[in-house]
Amino acid sequence: MDAREKEIEKLKDYKYGFSTDIENTRAPKGLNEEVIKFISNIKKEPQWMLDWRLKAFERLKQLKEPNWQKPKYPKIDYQDLYYYSAPKSMDDKPKSLDELDPKLLETYNKLGIPLQEQARLNGIAVDAVFDSVSVATTFKGELNKKGIIFCSMSEAIREHPELVKKYLGSVIPLSDHYFATLNSAVFTDGSFVYIPEGVRCPMELSTYFRINATETGQFERTLIIADKGSYVSYLEGCTAPMRDENQLHAANVELVALDDAEIKYSTVQNWYPGDKDGKGGIYNFVTKRGLCKGKNSKISWTQVETGSAITWKYPSCILMGDNSVGEFYSIAITNNHQKADTGTKMIHLGKNTKSKIISKGISAGFADNTYRGLVDIAKKADNARNFTQCDSLLMGNKCGAHTVPYIKNKNSSSNIEHEATTSKISDEQLFYCNQRGLNQEEAVSLIVNGFCKEVLQQLPMEFAVEAQKLVGISLEGSVG
Amino acid sequence: MLTIKDLKANIDNKEILKGLNLEIKPGEVHAIMGPNGSGKSTLSNVLSGKKGYTVTGEVKYFNENLLDLEIEERAHKGIFLAFQYPLEIPGVNTNIFLKTSLNAIKKAKGEKELDAIEFLKLVKQKAGELKFDEKILSRQLNVGFSGGEKKKNEILQMSILNPKLSILDETDSGLDIDALKIVSEGVNALRSKESSFLIITHYQRLLEYIKPDFVHVLINGQIVKSGGSELALELEKKGYESLS
Amino acid sequence: MEQLKVDFNKVIESLKLSEKSINSRKENLNQFVENGFPNKRVEDWKFSDLNQIISSNIENLRFHTDFEISEIDETTFIDKFAHNKIIFLNGVISKVDFSSEDDTKVLITRDLNQNENSKEVNSLVSLNNALITSYIRVTVKENYSMNEPLIIYNITTKELKSTAINLKTDIVLEKNSSLKLIDLFDDSSENNFINIVQNFDIAQDAILKNYKIDHKKNSNIKYSYNNINLEKNSISENFIFSTGSKFIKNEINCNLNDEYSSAFINGIINLTNSQHHEIKTNINHLAENTKSYQLIKSVLNENAKGIYQGKIYVDSKAQKTNGYQLSKALLLSENTEFDGKPELEIYADDVKCSHGATSGNLDEDAIFYLMSRGLSNQQSKELLIKGFLLDAVEKITDIEIKDLIKNMIGITE
Repeated sequence: MDAREKEIEKLKDYKYGFSTDIENTRAPKGLNEEVIKFISNIKKEPQWMLDWRLKAFERLKQLKEPNWQKPKYPKIDYQDLYYYSAPKSMDDKPKSLDELDPKLLETYNKLGIPLQEQARLNGIAVDAVFDSVSVATTFKGELNKKGIIFCSMSEAIREHPELVKKYLGSVIPLSDHYFATLNSAVFTDGSFVYIPEGVRCPMELSTYFRINATETGQFERTLIIADKGSYVSYLEGCTAPMRDENQLHAANVELVALDDAEIKYSTVQNWYPGDKDGKGGIYNFVTKRGLCKGKNSKISWTQVETGSAITWKYPSCILMGDNSVGEFYSIAITNNHQKADTGTKMIHLGKNTKSKIISKGISAGFADNTYRGLVDIAKKADNARNFTQCDSLLMGNKCGAHTVPYIKNKNSSSNIEHEATTSKISDEQLFYCNQRGLNQEEAVSLIVNGFCKEVLQQLPMEFAVEAQKLVGISLEGSVG
Repeated sequence: MLTIKDLKANIDNKEILKGLNLEIKPGEVHAIMGPNGSGKSTLSNVLSGKKGYTVTGEVKYFNENLLDLEIEERAHKGIFLAFQYPLEIPGVNTNIFLKTSLNAIKKAKGEKELDAIEFLKLVKQKAGELKFDEKILSRQLNVGFSGGEKKKNEILQMSILNPKLSILDETDSGLDIDALKIVSEGVNALRSKESSFLIITHYQRLLEYIKPDFVHVLINGQIVKSGGSELALELEKKGYESLS
Repeated sequence: MEQLKVDFNKVIESLKLSEKSINSRKENLNQFVENGFPNKRVEDWKFSDLNQIISSNIENLRFHTDFEISEIDETTFIDKFAHNKIIFLNGVISKVDFSSEDDTKVLITRDLNQNENSKEVNSLVSLNNALITSYIRVTVKENYSMNEPLIIYNITTKELKSTAINLKTDIVLEKNSSLKLIDLFDDSSENNFINIVQNFDIAQDAILKNYKIDHKKNSNIKYSYNNINLEKNSISENFIFSTGSKFIKNEINCNLNDEYSSAFINGIINLTNSQHHEIKTNINHLAENTKSYQLIKSVLNENAKGIYQGKIYVDSKAQKTNGYQLSKALLLSENTEFDGKPELEIYADDVKCSHGATSGNLDEDAIFYLMSRGLSNQQSKELLIKGFLLDAVEKITDIEIKDLIKNMIGITE
């Protein structure tokens, strides 16, 4: 218990709240054509990419910021943000880790993501994104031998234009909605993955996102393509320094699974949530969507959302191929003044498509937690199946837990089942645990982890342990 | 080890315990018998520290003031309550719960915590001794357990946590004769010079299998009569009315 | 909209209204004019675009009727049990009969000037406030239980065409009183829009049982808005039998204002052709120890569309709330559609709330089982469908009315 106890102690106040003092190259403040050209130019992008961005920007001018979601936030001044910020040392892209600014290496060490060869995490290849650039990608060589491409988005645009052109925007169209379109115009970096036909990716691929600079939005873009019969498991982690300002994070993630391919995408989101009074924290407005394009393909989203002042995301699956499968496993924990509005969309288009949604929402303090989801079965989706379970746990009566499922069924041979419950941790359960020697916080952590079990067990081992700790820590001080 | 003096307990402005006195020495088995509503369960709740009661009087446990301690501190110091209605905790594996509990207690005592392998070995051994099917330990804590399985699980936990004072709250309720025998054998196996038991029960039945050193009759929040194990038999014949 | 303004003036002229009442009607009219019929961009109307439904089913909609019909076809009246009557004929009250009740215990008001406007929750309620031509309020006095049920007959005749009519009823149940109310629709008209508002104030210990029966096939478009206020220890039981009209949306807003009040809303939607029915509920738990229960069963054939939107709101004061809702739908042909939005909004921690929703086809194994016992495929399906609906019908606590509805869906025992 010693080690664990220390770990908890260390994490008590947001462990990742430090910032790295590093010299930055920034785009001029504001959102305009010049800034977009600046981003495209600094990334040495081809003309087609710049054209694509400008098209998105044109479209953005006609779109309005949505306001139907439950969490409300003060108006964002889009002209008062930096859209590109990168460590100056990245201007001339270092060729190897030896050339990388030691401050960056140090930052990732502190975050528990060592990038140096000798210290790397076993069996996990990492793409480390710092503000607007990818600073390093590990295990590239080994992956290359199998024909797997794992690199930063900027590199993919230069090196693999045929794949990027074909798939970028194929799942989240250029003009999908306000934040997705904003991302299309100004996206900076992110990860690109291509798994060739028949290849089972031998290790976990992972991106670690870090926001460091102030007054900067992070707009990363990730694209994962699993070719026929391939498999990949991808992990994503996020942290940011503690700051009084709210920072915007508007990422787009697109997944494409071709025939018989499977993509497993896991997120442990721990952006800075703001302080106890709700000051500061990240606005996490993310668009994640997977396309099960081929027959028998499968996309599975797992997320543990504990950070951010406001989380607003719906990782979705478009089940186009016959027999394709979509899954969504989610834990959303909100404490203090955090707000989360999250869920999924399962769009059944193909025959015999199946989807499963397991959502666990936990609300404490003054927080608001909403599950919002859509299950849509199209007319031609014969024998489609969906099972949804949404459970909410409330701790105290200053917080809220909400369930807003939309169900649309146009096919008579399909079957949809939805269940939802709301409960609390009973005093009797706490007494039982206390009587067996557990203190209040250990008891809460144990019971909540039990509540979340179905989702936690979806995570790859390396992440599951970290996630379990996070679940306990996020709720500290919420039961008195 | 335990000295209770003039213990009074109120809940919702209603007095349940009205001045209870009791002394338990190491190695002794005490039985508290009484009709429904006499305050038996309140006594076990108050001793283990359940919130919601207003308590006055004095309870000394190894010369420490027990009433000042938190629930888990009492557990760390060796007080174990076998619940009348063990709680269901969905999603929490019984083994993991037990390991967390055992290590919390070991840590408080300054002992070395057990790793997963040592723990499993211990569980296997204890389950074997008690003739329990260890399969139930890989299930969610008490979820979907039968009444008998829940009570057996309590006794198994007791044997693993190795407490100094075990309070058995109506452990016999809802048990058939076979389960009752297994549970009693488990308790008897744990009897030693150091460990004491406070057995709370409505019926004499359990005391046929676990022979108490002392029997106390609790009526209306007070102990009205104490004696040896023969008192239990007398009560069985004459009923509680003869004493009230 | 020009037609609306002309008709509005005709309505005002035809009624003897106070200045205040006229002004308030004008305000309501303006509110309707501003928003129009709700369309799918309004969240509550996401699955039922009323604006589109009205424009594609009704040509040249009028808002005023000037013909008189005095003959009522009484053969369609319920003859299974004696009852009190209120008869709306083409939107106008033509008969009120409470002859078997104590007239000091049941008070009737029909003065339009005494009508208080309903809370303007949407443009249709505003339209209703602006245009109603008759009004009735029934007050059941303290400790009085009505001897017989009350049936409100909503009759339309074939003379009524392409017209919007507005009906309004207020029911007041004083302490410890009780009322059984049946809203029965009997339509011989075609292509009209019928807009109904009902308010229920249910005082301490009072009991309301309300059964809405829209049974006879017709091509009218209907909207019914009910607002129910429940005080301490009172009970409201609602049952909606939704099968007759081309389109109907039954919306119930129910406020559990005080401790130990409870609300039950059960119903069946049973549709064929291109019918489109919706049930929408808002249950607001505003005090401790309140309870709500909802069970909606839908059976959809041919091109029909069924919708259930149910929301349970639990205020932070409403600890120990018990809220339950379940929606089950059978899609029996390839062109049917069922949409649902079972919603929970909860701000108190010590509550038990759950909802469930399923939709799909009949269980093939069950059909196989029945056929192996000698039933035909058709018989097996019919049996299973009736069993499916019966589950909801069995929730009706009044025996006479339960039997009446069972007869209507062809379940005989």
